[in-house]
Amino acid sequence: MVGNDLVDLQFAKSESNWQRKGFLEKQFTIKEQQLIFNASNSFNVVWRLWTMKEAAYKIFTQQHKKRFFAPHKFECSFISEAEGIVFFEKNKFYTTTFFNSFYCYTIAQKTNDKLAVFSSVGLPETIDCEIKQQLQELTGVLMEEMSQRKSSVGAPLYYQKEKLLTNSCSISHHGNYGAFAFTLQNES
Amino acid sequence: MTKEELITKLTVIVKPYIQNEEAFKSLNENTDFINDLEINSANLVDIILDVEDEFNIEIDNDSMEKMLSVKATVEIIQIKMNA
Repeated sequence: MVGNDLVDLQFAKSESNWQRKGFLEKQFTIKEQQLIFNASNSFNVVWRLWTMKEAAYKIFTQQHKKRFFAPHKFECSFISEAEGIVFFEKNKFYTTTFFNSFYCYTIAQKTNDKLAVFSSVGLPETIDCEIKQQLQELTGVLMEEMSQRKSSVGAPLYYQKEKLLTNSCSISHHGNYGAFAFTLQNES
Repeated sequence: MTKEELITKLTVIVKPYIQNEEAFKSLNENTDFINDLEINSANLVDIILDVEDEFNIEIDNDSMEKMLSVKATVEIIQIKMNA
């Protein structure tokens, strides 16, 4: 299972005020708030933590077909500059975060997963086409034969007629960017 | 406050965050913030804070967990206002 989340940093600066009263308390644990306050760049840590939680949540919803909004229950810790772990109930998700001056992008996997993840960041409007192109390269199935369906919780699934191609798929868009991450059905 | 009045107030609150105009025009009790209005999850927190300010209530974490739709949000506002 894979989950992803992307935040357009310029967009986040104009659209979200993380310093708004109550904003941090509603979504971050005390420990995470300390990470934010102690950081030299608090803004970046806010969005790194946020994308970690979201990416982990997207795995959980795909698996359990449940939707909810409980960011404070997904507790993040950092392992290195890019890697981290998110704990939620008895689940453990392993994350990798990519930062540049434009966006913050996190991919999460269940720790015991050994599946290859295919992922890319692009434009929001071409994400669907990019996924199909990559699936075509990997599976040999023609992209014209592919269609996207949504699971009961809104997670994307890619099919060739009735045959499911993706084992897990996650799409994220924010501001000027879009990103996908998927694993293949036949690799498990 | 009636349910209709609450929905009207909520409509004003969510407006700045919506990404799907069509769904917003037909906003009703069954409208989902993320699946229909395509509100970014990062902005859900803003909606919750705006709801707290507007109705002068405090939304605890357990209530916040359910606030993904107009219906659930209206129910929570009613419970908190009557508490």
